[in-house]
Amino acid sequence: MLRPMNIEALDAGTTRRWGVLVVEDDSRARSFFEASVQRSPRLFWLGSAGTVQEALNWLAQTATIPDVLLVDLGMPDGSGLDVIREAVARFPGCEPLVISVFGDEENVLSSIEAGAVGYIHKDAAPEDIAQTIVEMKAGASPISPMIARRVLAKYRSLQLAGAPAATPEAAVDSTAPSLLSSREHEVLTLIARGFSYAEIARLKGLSVHTVQTHIKNLYGKLAVHSKSEAVFEATRLGLLSHPG
Amino acid sequence: MWLAALLMVVGAAAAAEPAESPIELRRGTVTTTVGGVTHTAPAELSYHWDRQHAGRPGFADFELPFTLEAEPEAAWGIFIPRAGNVLEVRLNEALLQAYGDLARGNGPDYAKAPIYVPVPGHLLKAGDNRLQIRIRADSARRAGLSRVTIGPATPVRTELFESAYAWRFTGSVLLTAFSLVVGGIALALWLTQVDAGAVGGQRREGIYFWAALAEFCWALRVADGVIAEPPLPWGAWGVLMAGCYAGWAASAMMFCYHLAEWDGAPRMRWLRWPVAAVVAGTIAASSMALYREEPYWLTGWLALEIVFVALFVGAFAVATVRQPNVGRLLVAAAALVTLGFGTRDWLVIRLSDAYGETTWVRYSSVFFGIALLLIVLRRFRAASIEARGWVATLAERVAQRERELASTFAALEQVARDQARTHERERILRDMHDGVGSHISSAIRQLQSGQASSDELLRTLRDSLDKLKLSIDSIHLPPGDVGALLAALRYRLEPRLAAAGIELQWAVDEVPAVKRLDAQGMRQLQFLLFEAISNVLQHAHARTLRIEAETVAGAVQLRVIDDGRGFDASHVPRALSERAATVGTQLGLESRPGRTVVQLGFG
Repeated sequence: MLRPMNIEALDAGTTRRWGVLVVEDDSRARSFFEASVQRSPRLFWLGSAGTVQEALNWLAQTATIPDVLLVDLGMPDGSGLDVIREAVARFPGCEPLVISVFGDEENVLSSIEAGAVGYIHKDAAPEDIAQTIVEMKAGASPISPMIARRVLAKYRSLQLAGAPAATPEAAVDSTAPSLLSSREHEVLTLIARGFSYAEIARLKGLSVHTVQTHIKNLYGKLAVHSKSEAVFEATRLGLLSHPG
Repeated sequence: MWLAALLMVVGAAAAAEPAESPIELRRGTVTTTVGGVTHTAPAELSYHWDRQHAGRPGFADFELPFTLEAEPEAAWGIFIPRAGNVLEVRLNEALLQAYGDLARGNGPDYAKAPIYVPVPGHLLKAGDNRLQIRIRADSARRAGLSRVTIGPATPVRTELFESAYAWRFTGSVLLTAFSLVVGGIALALWLTQVDAGAVGGQRREGIYFWAALAEFCWALRVADGVIAEPPLPWGAWGVLMAGCYAGWAASAMMFCYHLAEWDGAPRMRWLRWPVAAVVAGTIAASSMALYREEPYWLTGWLALEIVFVALFVGAFAVATVRQPNVGRLLVAAAALVTLGFGTRDWLVIRLSDAYGETTWVRYSSVFFGIALLLIVLRRFRAASIEARGWVATLAERVAQRERELASTFAALEQVARDQARTHERERILRDMHDGVGSHISSAIRQLQSGQASSDELLRTLRDSLDKLKLSIDSIHLPPGDVGALLAALRYRLEPRLAAAGIELQWAVDEVPAVKRLDAQGMRQLQFLLFEAISNVLQHAHARTLRIEAETVAGAVQLRVIDDGRGFDASHVPRALSERAATVGTQLGLESRPGRTVVQLGFG
């Protein structure tokens, strides 16, 4: 009954089953996720890891490519971000989701930049967990208004930084204008103002699916962008400390 | 050409026969006229008029015979080291040269510079010749006639005359120039080095002034040696020159007085009066001597003066020995030498019969000037070093103050940071107390009572988690951004509305930022809206919830509207009214079955 907002239509066109790996140090949460996955006919359980090291070992040795990775960020021996980076690098088809209690901006944004394509709330109902995963595989990407606001703020700051310095050495600046298309910008602005995907689709005369695709593309851009941005640590820090 | 021809003639003459040697004329007769009385007597040169006639003016006619073996072929000349005050030179009755007008006294004085008179060749003859020199003597003006040398132009002119001239005339010019330079430097320093720090206005360095005055007096006194025709009659000029001499001595003493720092010692300050008396007394005594034509007035006074100066120099020397430094030692040495020379000059010029002598003080005064210049320059250097020191000290103080300010600022910043942390801590505690804490405790009560359904328990816990999420969201909400606040609220609460089967209508315009909502105000507004929506969820049995935001005449208005059963709007729920008061918004309530509106206005 509880599910992230903005996930509406479900495209059940494919009957393929998705393999799920869970990285979570809390054993009760692990079994909760396992139960959720086992219960869904569209998903199958690949296994779980309780530490970063365990997860990295699993990724190094697995014969089955994980379709979906559920990652808790706060692990006893490190950050789940490392697992996300490693999984994305090793298996480009793997789509990581972050397990978040609060869905708060800092953690979600850094996960997206590491390569995650969304997040699930830890307090979501078991059936909603499975549903979120399946919807994500079908093209949906949840995004909160707070995160949308942050992405817009980042876009603005990159534009400002890029405008005066029209020099080729600023790789980040040269990618900034292409970070958001004008349509993506519109969609993001409406999300930041609290509108749902359906409302946006109605307002802009788009399908819900198109809106979702815009968002998912955006996630990819943020991840790619964050890589080139690693060189420009200062900008990243500027973003992270930005009040918006 | 003419000169070359002359040289050739001279050279030929010298080659023709052994050089004729110059003849020094020492004896003759003199016919004097003093006060109308004429008297003829043999004379032995030098002839010191003032000694012979006790300072009374008059005329003297010297007849100086000499014998030549043959008429000289080379050019001859007469060298007179000193004669005056005005004079005429005749040879064998022919007037060779007149210096000044014998009919007028107390005017020019040609005794100051040595004289050379060329002799036309035909005037000299073999056998007896006669040189006549007629002088007019002013009172106490060192009139008279020195020994006279006659002979071939070489060496009389080139050796005797020119070296004497260089010593007397050129020496005076150089000494004057030196004194003027030293005095000028001292005066410039005195004019520009103003001690503005002294209480009661500006104070100049006295030592520079006295140095300047001493050197200017001396320059004038020495310049007299080259001024044959003074602008004043001899009486006034003589007094002025004596005054300059005394002014130099007195100023030099005042310089020593400052150098010894007696100006700061009350026991020594009386010394200024006798120093002033030296000048006043000299002017008085020289006036007496010149107008009464009795030179002993000045001679006597000068003796007194020398005694006083000797005492003063002695005192200064003692002070120097007690507290020596380079400047004082230098000046003390110069003062002692000058004192010695001054005494010698007094004896020779004022008392002895020696004629043609020049003063020695004029040379020792150079040492004095050099010492004075050195001290003045050292003082100036010390003052500039001190000034630089002050500048450095000042810069250091400014830097020190800057450091203090920086540390004060850092301390204030630290306090501000601590305060911000304290506020943040207080806020988190308050949130925990009002939110999670109260929800968990009511969940515990519900569990303990055993009467609550699991739905109720779940709702309590969900409320708790939702409020926690809202708290986290609020950390990043830009102050005053009501649109962002509403969007976050919708994101957090919509799952519960959906679960309760309530349709959400979103009619939120883009609204301007509400300036007076700070972070705390945003928190309170968030809770206020949460409360209103919570009420709809729990009590209203509504099918639709509508959130509106718009700007009416520049004022942001928010409305939470439901179509539930309504409530008695005259009893405003306390949770709502209290938070509205904290936020500072106008709370409007209207409720009837099917339409309940909670309105918040930011006017």
